[in-house]
Amino acid sequence: MSNKPLIIGYGRTPFGEHYEKDPEELIEQAGLKALEKAGIERKDLDAVIVSNHFLQLTNKIGLEEGFISEILDVHIPMETARSFSSAINHACNAIEAGRYDIVLVGGVEKMTDRLDKIGDDIMMLADSWSYYAGGTMEAHHELMLREYIKTYGINGENVEKLMRALAYISHKNHEFGSRNPYAQFYRSKVDIETVIKARRGGILGLYDYAPISDGAAAIIIAKEEKAREIGLEKGLTIVGRGCATDHLSYTTRETLIGFKSTKIAMEKALKEAKVNIEDIKLMELYDQSTVMELIALEDVGLSKPGNAWKMIMNSIEEKKYTYRTMNGEVYVNTNGGLKADGNPYGATGGAQVCEVCMQMMGEAGDRQIPIYENAYALTMEHEGFGTKTYVCIFRRWMK
Amino acid sequence: MSSEPIERRVSYISDRLRGSICPICGKRYFKPRYYCTKCGRKSIGKMMETSYIYSEGILEVCTIINEATNRFKPLQPYIYGIVTLKEGDIKVPARLTDHILNSGDEFKPEIYEGRKVVFRFRRRYASEPQEIIPTTSLTFTFADEYYPYIPYETKEPKEISEKPGIVGYAIYTSRFRIREGDMERSVPFIDEDSITAAVEAGKLALIQSALHGEKIKKIYVGTESNPYSVKPIASKVAQVLDLGEDLGDGVKGIDAIDTEFACKAATSMFKDAIALSKYMAEKGEEYFTMVIGTDNSQAAPRGQPGGELDYFVGYGAAAYIIGNMDVIAEIEGWYSSTSDTPDFWRRDGQRYPLHGGRFTGEPAYFKHIIKAAKKLMDKMNLTAKDINYFVPHQPNAKFPIRAARRLGFKDEQCLPSLKVTKFGNLYSGSSPAGLAAVLEIAKPYEKILLTSFGSGAGSDAYLITVTPKILEKRKRLEKFNIEWQSSNPYLIYVDYNTYRRFKEGI
Repeated sequence: MSNKPLIIGYGRTPFGEHYEKDPEELIEQAGLKALEKAGIERKDLDAVIVSNHFLQLTNKIGLEEGFISEILDVHIPMETARSFSSAINHACNAIEAGRYDIVLVGGVEKMTDRLDKIGDDIMMLADSWSYYAGGTMEAHHELMLREYIKTYGINGENVEKLMRALAYISHKNHEFGSRNPYAQFYRSKVDIETVIKARRGGILGLYDYAPISDGAAAIIIAKEEKAREIGLEKGLTIVGRGCATDHLSYTTRETLIGFKSTKIAMEKALKEAKVNIEDIKLMELYDQSTVMELIALEDVGLSKPGNAWKMIMNSIEEKKYTYRTMNGEVYVNTNGGLKADGNPYGATGGAQVCEVCMQMMGEAGDRQIPIYENAYALTMEHEGFGTKTYVCIFRRWMK
Repeated sequence: MSSEPIERRVSYISDRLRGSICPICGKRYFKPRYYCTKCGRKSIGKMMETSYIYSEGILEVCTIINEATNRFKPLQPYIYGIVTLKEGDIKVPARLTDHILNSGDEFKPEIYEGRKVVFRFRRRYASEPQEIIPTTSLTFTFADEYYPYIPYETKEPKEISEKPGIVGYAIYTSRFRIREGDMERSVPFIDEDSITAAVEAGKLALIQSALHGEKIKKIYVGTESNPYSVKPIASKVAQVLDLGEDLGDGVKGIDAIDTEFACKAATSMFKDAIALSKYMAEKGEEYFTMVIGTDNSQAAPRGQPGGELDYFVGYGAAAYIIGNMDVIAEIEGWYSSTSDTPDFWRRDGQRYPLHGGRFTGEPAYFKHIIKAAKKLMDKMNLTAKDINYFVPHQPNAKFPIRAARRLGFKDEQCLPSLKVTKFGNLYSGSSPAGLAAVLEIAKPYEKILLTSFGSGAGSDAYLITVTPKILEKRKRLEKFNIEWQSSNPYLIYVDYNTYRRFKEGI
């Protein structure tokens, strides 16, 4: 038996604007679903790790552990993290170390409660000196794209092709999102021309960016031995994890194209999982913008630097919603990605993991992809503008 | 409500673009560092402080921001990008200022990227009336436009001057103008005010004098448009320009003070600066003072009480360094006149000044200027013929000529100083800017009679003799001299509504 932790249950709320709900209600909804799915009781939990990025700023909630204790009426150890993947990381470390057997990992965010200042908060937390100079998150994405175009000498009609490739990313993610009942943009498709038309004045447009969202997600992670004990039929093994950190200031980093943290985290995760990238058939990448998905394809190693847009162009011609990469055919962001599923920061990584669970267990309904025996899936999540990156690699577990 | 300690710390670093250099490997950093990430432990405690406000950079990449964060909204749309500094591989985020964009226009980054830029000192973003005013130098303009790159190369002063006087000078006016009839007036960009103009002018005066900032022991800033009722501009200028001896913990060994007497707030202090230099010279010590006159000249909008002034007000600052070494113009003598004449005033808490209509001419302007100038000429045993240039306060184009004629000067002796038709009334910077215009063309040993006027009311008259040292020093600022600021292809002319919006600022 391996000491790798297992995901034994998962649950999430739809993402979008939950005007009438408190953050407490959202996390309760997600958490109860996960417990139900795992078929365990709250008294079975050894610990809770919950993530949020902004609750202290948006909702003036600091000790959310307290309201989880109140909801579940349990008095076990609880900790907080700033992203769902970070919470998974803490939970797995504890389980692997033998400290806990079953841990609830949750994530929640309530961004639309403070639409008036969320843009300031995001930027201030992501890169304070750029904020002081007048920067915005959107500007960071634009600057990275400019640097990409300049460094790789993309010009003339190739720029148009690149911009079309980016539009395709949005179109593809909306296509998947339209088939995901939990997604913020469920049932809404966006064609490539719409994405392009929304770009006004020579810069990226509305459909190039993930929305502002509310939502919650939760998963239950357990020791394999414990999973067998409770009679679990199928689950997901977390076979490899990697995380890395880079400078907060975008301008002081080694490069303005891509994220060093992603490259390091990816390498570590692959090494720990002992898998080749060719065996990973589904990747949930952090597409805060279409540029970020393009960059992520290169950072995780699906494409050579400067080439991802060409690969995407080929995929458009094939009319399949997969990328034919140098490492074989890969599905990316089948939940709709941050673009169409939604991006409630602290819960975003939870949606990625929930998607991997659904796909790997054949529960993804309309958007189910073919899953082969021994297939691997991966999630990649950032905190800030690539300041931190977490990569997790998963494999299906059967009793 | 913003946090005053946070705003201060961010200003402290970004106003001057403070950084560090590793003395071992030479690696540079923006923002002060205690050790070098390359050299590690052996560099701890050895890092040298540096600043990049006099640096040149290249705009690496840029984008347009149409939807800014909340405090930047009054500035949008604007261009924002990453600037690589000429010294070492340092990149900083920065905002393009002095640039008007129309939100509908197609953004073409190629127009901007790869161009050389200079850093400018501006308000960082909008603030509420009860908050402190955040500032920064993480703003830039293109070096191939209005404001060129001029290196700051300090030199040790060499020669003790027998008579103290002007050691360096500069004026700063903005890139924007409003043109009405024959009159052009300088208009601040939306992120400018009397504080930012004072810093810009002081920075240029240091460049022209080549004097190291630490040698300046006193700074006076004369203004009537300080955005603060209580809090000096002088301390800000001293901190940004690193004036005075370093006492550690961000504290400087300098005496800094703001002065107010309407438009003569700055000229009044020339004689005090001279007296200090003279006193220290007798003890055998060098002594330098910076005197700045700065104003975002105030006027109510047209149609409101006091709105008549709105046809004349300008924006800008003049900075003078006065000392006892390497003097370019000796100050020979002075005389001041004063009476309690309420020709122009602004009560505390009022936004705009009011003036006494037709009582501003004869009983105020002419009476004080003529008495002070005449008395000084008598005292120095000189007539109008013995003096080459007459530089009076210039609230409009007519008053100075009439005053000159009444003192026996020919129009040609007064006209070179008249800049009111190019910059508008600069209030505290008005006659100092006129003096700068004359210093720009004067030959060694020529004599200048400067006579300021401040409402309330009073005049300061000075007799000034140019020395041969002026020839070398004024060359240093040739690319941004008064002639250039008066007329160049990069000036941007705005309409009345834009002028009012910019003047009110953020």
